[in-house]
Amino acid sequence: MIERMDLFRAVHARRTDEITVLTMSATLQYPLVSDHELDFDFLAFGMGHAGDFGLGLALARPERKVIVFKGDGGQLMSLGSLVTLGRYAPGNLLVLFLENRVYEQTGSQSFSDRVDFDTLARGAGIEGGGATGKGKIERIETIEAFEEALPRLLTEEGPHFVICPVVNHEHVPPTSHTNHAGRIQKLRKGLGLPAGG
Amino acid sequence: MSANQGASAAKTLAAIKTLGFTHVLVIPDSESARLYTAINEDPDIDLIQPTREGESIAIAAGLWTGGQKPLVLIQNTGFMEAGDALRGCGMGPRVPLRLMVGWRGYGGAMAEKLPIDSAYTYTEPLLKAWGIPYWPLMSDDDLPALEQMDRTAEETSMPAAVITGYAFTE
Repeated sequence: MIERMDLFRAVHARRTDEITVLTMSATLQYPLVSDHELDFDFLAFGMGHAGDFGLGLALARPERKVIVFKGDGGQLMSLGSLVTLGRYAPGNLLVLFLENRVYEQTGSQSFSDRVDFDTLARGAGIEGGGATGKGKIERIETIEAFEEALPRLLTEEGPHFVICPVVNHEHVPPTSHTNHAGRIQKLRKGLGLPAGG
Repeated sequence: MSANQGASAAKTLAAIKTLGFTHVLVIPDSESARLYTAINEDPDIDLIQPTREGESIAIAAGLWTGGQKPLVLIQNTGFMEAGDALRGCGMGPRVPLRLMVGWRGYGGAMAEKLPIDSAYTYTEPLLKAWGIPYWPLMSDDDLPALEQMDRTAEETSMPAAVITGYAFTE
C-alpha cells in the first residue's frame, strides 16, 4: 500500500514538462506539493472523464507525456473508457490509477470488493494495445517500487496503466469548484496556445 | 431549408475538412453511417470511436485544450446521456465544442408518423435549456450552417451545434 501524498511527492520530484491531470482527492492534495503551469485540476469537469480528457490531451500533444491521476470510483462510472484506451491511447499517456476502493471524498463509502481493476483493464485490451500496440498494465504496491519505476514510466513508450493501491493519512484541503474557464486557459497558456476560440 | 432529405456525406466531409477539423469523435448510428464511412476512409481526419457519448465530449475537450480542432458527431440520445460531460467539459470551462447532433425521430415526426419518438420531442428543448445555439443541416443546401456553427463556437468560446434530421446520402 502506498501513502498517497508520498506518491504525489515522488511524481513532483521527477516531473519536468509533463502535463498532469488531477482528479478527485488529487486535485486537493497534489497542489500542496506542486504549482506547475501544466497541472490541470479536473475535479469540477465531470467525474469519470479525467482519463478521457487526458487521452485527448495526449493525442493532441504527442511531444510530451500526459500523466492522469485517476480514481477507482471515477473509473467505475466509465468502464467503457478502458476499451477506448485499449484502442487509441498513445505512447505518451501514463495513467496512474489510484486504487483506494472507496468513495473517499463523500465519506469513504465502499464499492463491491469483488472488482478487479487489473482484470478489467486487461479485458479491455490495454495490455499490448493502445495506438502503439505497446500498452502496459502494471501493479505497483510500495513507494519504493514506485520511485524505482517512475523514471522509466516517464520516458518509456506506453501507454501505461499503472494500478497503485493507496491510502491517505494526511490532510485533505476542502473542495473548490471555482474558475473552471480559468483552469483551462492556464493550461492552454502553458502549452503556448490562445485562451479561447 | 431544402425539400431534399439528407446531406451528402461526401460534401459534408469536404466542408468538415475545409473548416480545418482534425478529429471526429463518433459512435456509430444509423443516420450518420455514411458519414462515418466517409470520414473513416479519409486519411486527413482522425476518427475516434469512444464507447459512450460522455467520453466523446471529454476526449474532444482534451483535444481542443491541446490545440486540435475536434468535431463531435453525436446522436440526440447520446447527447442526452452526455449531459454532465457537456456541463463539465463544455459550458463550465468555456470549451468551444463543435457538435453535429443527429435528430433521431425528426423524419418520422415531419411525416406525422405515430408514435412520435421521444428522442425527437426532447432534442430542441434540451439544446435550448443548455443554451447551445444550433442550425439545421437537412440537405446540401444547409451545409453553410457548419461554418456558422464553427464561427459561433470560435467567437463565443462555447459549444455550438448543427442538427441533422435525415440520414446522410452518399
